[in-house]
Amino acid sequence: MKYDVVVVGSGPAGSVTAMFAAEAGAKVLIIERRAEVGVPVLCGEGISQKVDNFKVLEGTRWMAMKMEGARIFSPNGTIVTLSAEYAGSETGYVLYRDIFDQELARGAVKKGATLIVNTGAVDLLKKNGKIAGVKAQRFDETMDIEADIVVGADGVESRVGHWAGIKTTLKPYDLETCAQYTLTNIDWPTPYCDFFLGKKIAPGGYVWIFPKGKDVANVGIGILSSMSESGKALQLLDAFIAKYPELKKGSPVRLLAGADPVGEPIESVRDHLLLVGDAARQVDPITGGGLMTAIEGGKIAGEVIGKAVETQKFDAQTLSEYETRWKEAFGRKLHRNYVAKEILLDMEDKTLDMLADSLKDYKFEEFSTLSIIKAMVSKHPSLLVKLTPLLKLARA
Amino acid sequence: MAKPKAFVRKERCLACGACISVCPQDAILMVTSKALISKDYCNSCSICVKTCPIGAIIWEGS
Repeated sequence: MKYDVVVVGSGPAGSVTAMFAAEAGAKVLIIERRAEVGVPVLCGEGISQKVDNFKVLEGTRWMAMKMEGARIFSPNGTIVTLSAEYAGSETGYVLYRDIFDQELARGAVKKGATLIVNTGAVDLLKKNGKIAGVKAQRFDETMDIEADIVVGADGVESRVGHWAGIKTTLKPYDLETCAQYTLTNIDWPTPYCDFFLGKKIAPGGYVWIFPKGKDVANVGIGILSSMSESGKALQLLDAFIAKYPELKKGSPVRLLAGADPVGEPIESVRDHLLLVGDAARQVDPITGGGLMTAIEGGKIAGEVIGKAVETQKFDAQTLSEYETRWKEAFGRKLHRNYVAKEILLDMEDKTLDMLADSLKDYKFEEFSTLSIIKAMVSKHPSLLVKLTPLLKLARA
Repeated sequence: MAKPKAFVRKERCLACGACISVCPQDAILMVTSKALISKDYCNSCSICVKTCPIGAIIWEGS
């Protein structure tokens, strides 16, 4: 059986691509390596409220909590609060990611896509030197799936891009290695997502607490792989929890490991092939958040695929409209944040404490980088030197 | 003596893919939801050992 498109991976990027491609009339197959869409969860489960604008979800079964904002804890514990009133679209939801992924997959199927689980891609299928689908394995059976376009939505460890000759291997300084418990019976009643910074707490990353209910939260950590040793992420997470009696009293109902690409965007298009989501490194290098960009990228990919199928043109030049559009929509911001990440990584804990001290009483009425930096420098003039590179970036 | 090769303790692996995404030798595959390192390709660089968030990768024989 031949399809217009085969999507490898049923995460948000894959399902949203499939949804929009199917809606545009393409014949779409999604293959999922795992036995259940969305399981195991590999995610902190936070998403921006912007997801509402995309209208890709029905109902609210996927939603655990609506958040009122975020709190950032500097290394010495100084708290900067970004409330919904001022932080605007940067507030969001905490999800049940397994249900979230299954709802997106259901949406794709509703638009006409076909989904099969327990089926992993093992290589690209080629005809006359051109990509013509994927070779897949389902239990003991190997099969050829023919398609005009292959979509690599196969996550941080993407093989599809690698098979197509795209350089996908991440440098250790471009990967956050993560561990997370879902803790129950804790005492952390806040409507905020909390972020804890500090070289001792989480080198090159942060610890997060995302509430999922009254006494349930995801408590996780991401550290830069280049600053990691074997098992260090989990050890630091355990050490963090041990410091807070209100967390320590809880019991984990889930432990997960994770990997988050925080490098620069890569090439995402070849003849007959494109990459979306984590596979295309569509992740904010500062926050490590990639759900919103996966959905935004997936929508663009689906629309471009729709056009390609209509005109029966599958060359890189035709598909490059996808890359142009996603880089325009959010790729430049990801690049800017990558540069900002490098500057932040160079900052000492002392500098972060000074920053937090300047901002702790700051009312984020005028949420511009310049106004915030002015506020910081007026309180701690020595910050000016440290912030000059960020200031230049904000003006660029 | 040849350098030891990296080895995944299957009972500990949570299938996050961190090791696969950083392996410069492309020596790691996910097989039935566990990472598997090919001894033939592993060059003992230690990147995956250090990267694994939960310490599931050790040196063979250790």
